[in-house]
Amino acid sequence: MNATPGQAPVKSIMPKWVRNPQDFVGGIAMMGIAVFALWASSDLQGMRGFSFGAGTAPRMFATLLLGLGAAITAVGVLTEGQHLAKYHWRGPLFVTLSIVSFALTIRSMGMIFSALTSFLIAACGSPETRWMETVIVGVCLTAFCALLFPYALGLPLQLLPTFMIR
Amino acid sequence: MGDIFSNLSLGFGVVFQFVQWTPAFLGGTSIPIPVNILLCLIGALVGTLVGVLPGIGTIATVAMLLPITFGLPPVGALIMLAGIYYGAQYGGSTTSILVNIPGEAGSVVTALDGFQMAKQGRAGPALAIAAIGSFFAGCVATVLIAILGAPLTKLALAFGPAEYFSLMVLGLIFAVVLAKGSVLKAIAMIVLGLLLSMVGSDIETGASRMAFNIPELADGLGFATLAMGLFGFAEIIRNLDAGGESDRQLVQQKVSGLMPTARDLRDSAPAVGRGTVLGSILGILPGGGAVIASFAAYTLEKKISKTPQKFGRGAIQGVAAPESANNAAAQTSFIPLLTLGIPPNAVMALMVGAMTIHGIVPGPQVMQKQPDLVWGMIASMWVGNLMLLVINLPLVGIWVRLLRVPYRLMFPSIVIFCSIGIYSVNNAPTDVIIAGVFGLVGYWLIKHDFEPAPLLLGMVLGPLMEENLRRALLISRGDWSVFLTRPLSAVLMAIAAGLLVLTVLPTLRKKRDEVFVESEN
Repeated sequence: MNATPGQAPVKSIMPKWVRNPQDFVGGIAMMGIAVFALWASSDLQGMRGFSFGAGTAPRMFATLLLGLGAAITAVGVLTEGQHLAKYHWRGPLFVTLSIVSFALTIRSMGMIFSALTSFLIAACGSPETRWMETVIVGVCLTAFCALLFPYALGLPLQLLPTFMIR
Repeated sequence: MGDIFSNLSLGFGVVFQFVQWTPAFLGGTSIPIPVNILLCLIGALVGTLVGVLPGIGTIATVAMLLPITFGLPPVGALIMLAGIYYGAQYGGSTTSILVNIPGEAGSVVTALDGFQMAKQGRAGPALAIAAIGSFFAGCVATVLIAILGAPLTKLALAFGPAEYFSLMVLGLIFAVVLAKGSVLKAIAMIVLGLLLSMVGSDIETGASRMAFNIPELADGLGFATLAMGLFGFAEIIRNLDAGGESDRQLVQQKVSGLMPTARDLRDSAPAVGRGTVLGSILGILPGGGAVIASFAAYTLEKKISKTPQKFGRGAIQGVAAPESANNAAAQTSFIPLLTLGIPPNAVMALMVGAMTIHGIVPGPQVMQKQPDLVWGMIASMWVGNLMLLVINLPLVGIWVRLLRVPYRLMFPSIVIFCSIGIYSVNNAPTDVIIAGVFGLVGYWLIKHDFEPAPLLLGMVLGPLMEENLRRALLISRGDWSVFLTRPLSAVLMAIAAGLLVLTVLPTLRKKRDEVFVESEN
C-alpha cells in the first residue's frame, strides 16, 4: 500500500535533507492539529487553584501532541524512510460525494431516493463498474435496506420524499 | 467455587430465557421463543457474513453492524454484539484461508499456512481445525472469565481515582508496546484520540469545548460515527486504491472433505492447547488482544516445532495455534472491560460505545448491580462459540460463494449501509458528513503509516482519564505526587514506565519487530 522504498527515485517535492518524507509530513500535520486545538481551546478557563478548569485537559493533550509531532518530524529528518505514498483521486472523490449526497438528501427526499442515488454515485469510484448490474444491485440493496431498517429493526426512517407524504 | 457456578448458571439462565410469543393467528396459543439465543445466532451469522468480505476487518464489521442492535433491549443488544464479534473473527479467518486476503491484522498469520493448505486442496480441514481450535479456546476462556471476574471486581472497588488513572496509563502504554510500527506514532495516535474526545461540553462546568458553536458537536463527537468513518469508509477508499479484484486469488478447487484426519487432529491438539494458553494471557493484558496473540502463537509454534521448514507450506499447526490464540484473546479481553470498565483494545472500545448508547457505564458497578447483563454476556460467549462451530462448517459453501462477489458491487453497498447506519443513530445528517470527513482522515493516516486503532482507544478513554485525573488531583489538593505515593497506583505507574523503557531499548525492539515481520517472509 505504500510506495516501495527500493523504487526508482520518485520525483519528490521534498527537499533533500528530508530523508523520511512520510514521517516528516505526518509529524508536521500532527503539530498543525495540536496548534489548532491550542487555539480553539484558548478561550476556556485554565487551572483555578488546584482544580482543573474546562480548558486544562484539552491544552494538556494538545501540548503533548505538539511535542510528539515535533519528535516525529525530527525522526523524518534524521532517519531513512519511505516516500510519500501515491494518492488516488477517483475512489476518495466519489465515495465522499456519495456520502455528502446522502447527508444532503436524506431529510427531504427520504431513504429510497437517497440511498439509490448515493449508491450510483459511489459506484463511479471504481473504473470496473458495469452499469447494468450496478443499477440492479442498487435497486435490490435499497429495497433490502427499506425493509431492514424501518421494519425489521424498528428505526424511525422516512422512506419517501417529504412532498409525496403530504 | 460455588460463586462461579451460581454466576454461570445465572448467565446461562439469561441466555436460555424463553419469551412467550402469542401471535393472533394462532388464537391464544403461545410459543416459547429463546430470544437471546436467536439474537446470538443472528449476530454470529451476520458477523460472519460481513467479516468474510475481503478487506473488512473485525473492527470495521462491528462498527458497521452496531446500528442494527440499537433497537434491542440492553442485554439482547450486547449478546448480539458479542455474537457479531465472534462471527466477524471467524469470517476473517475464512477469508484468509480461502482468498489469502486477511481482513485484519489478526488473521494475517492464519493466511500463511491456511492458504497453502487450501491450495493443496485441504481447505476443509483448515477451516475445520480453525473452528475446532477456536471453540476449544472459547470454552477455556469462558471459564477463565468466570473465575477471574469476581475477584477482579473486588479489586476494582478498592481503586480510587488515582489508581484508575494509572491503570489507564498502563493500558495505553501496553497498547503502544503491542502495536506494530513506530512507538512514537502510536503514542501520537492515542493522544490525538484523547484530544478528539475533549470536543463537546466539559463534564464539570458544562462549558462548550472546541465545538465552534456547531450544535451537533455540543455533545461531542459520536463514537460510532468516528469508528465507522475511520474504519468503514477509510477501508473502502483504501481498497479502491488497490484496484479491487486484481490481486484476489480465490482458491478454485471445490471445498470438499471437511473433516480433518486423525493425524491432523493429533498434530494440532498440542498447538491448540499452547495457543489457548498464550492467547488467554495476552488477551487479559490491556492493549493486548487478538492481533499480538496470533502472531505470538505462530512464532512460538515455529520455534518449538521439530519441522520448522514445514511452516509457510501448509502446516496445520500454523493454522491451529494462531486461530486458538486469536479466539482466546478475543474473549479474555472482555475481562478488563467487564471488571474494571477499561476497554483493552479497539473492539472493546466499540463495546463501550454500544453500552453507553444503552445507558450502561461498564465497570465494577455493573457487575454488582446488573449481574444478569454481565453473566448473560459471558454465557453468550460460550453459546456464540458453539454457534460458530455449528453454523460455519455446514455453511462454508455459502461463504465461498460470497467471496466471489466482486468488489465493484460490494463497496457502494457498504457505503450506503454505513451511511444509513450512522444517520439512524441520531437522525442527524451532520453525523454522516462527520463520518465522511473521518473517512478521509483515516485514509490519510493509513497513507502515512499511522494506525487508527490506538486513536479509537484514546477516544474512549479520554473522558474517563480526564475525570479521574481531575478527581485525583482534587482529593490530593493539587499534589501530583499522589500517583506515586499511593502504593497500588505507584506499582501500576512503575510497570508502565518500565514497559516504555523496554520498548525503546534496541534489542527488545528488534524482537518485537521480528514477531510482526514473521508474516512477510
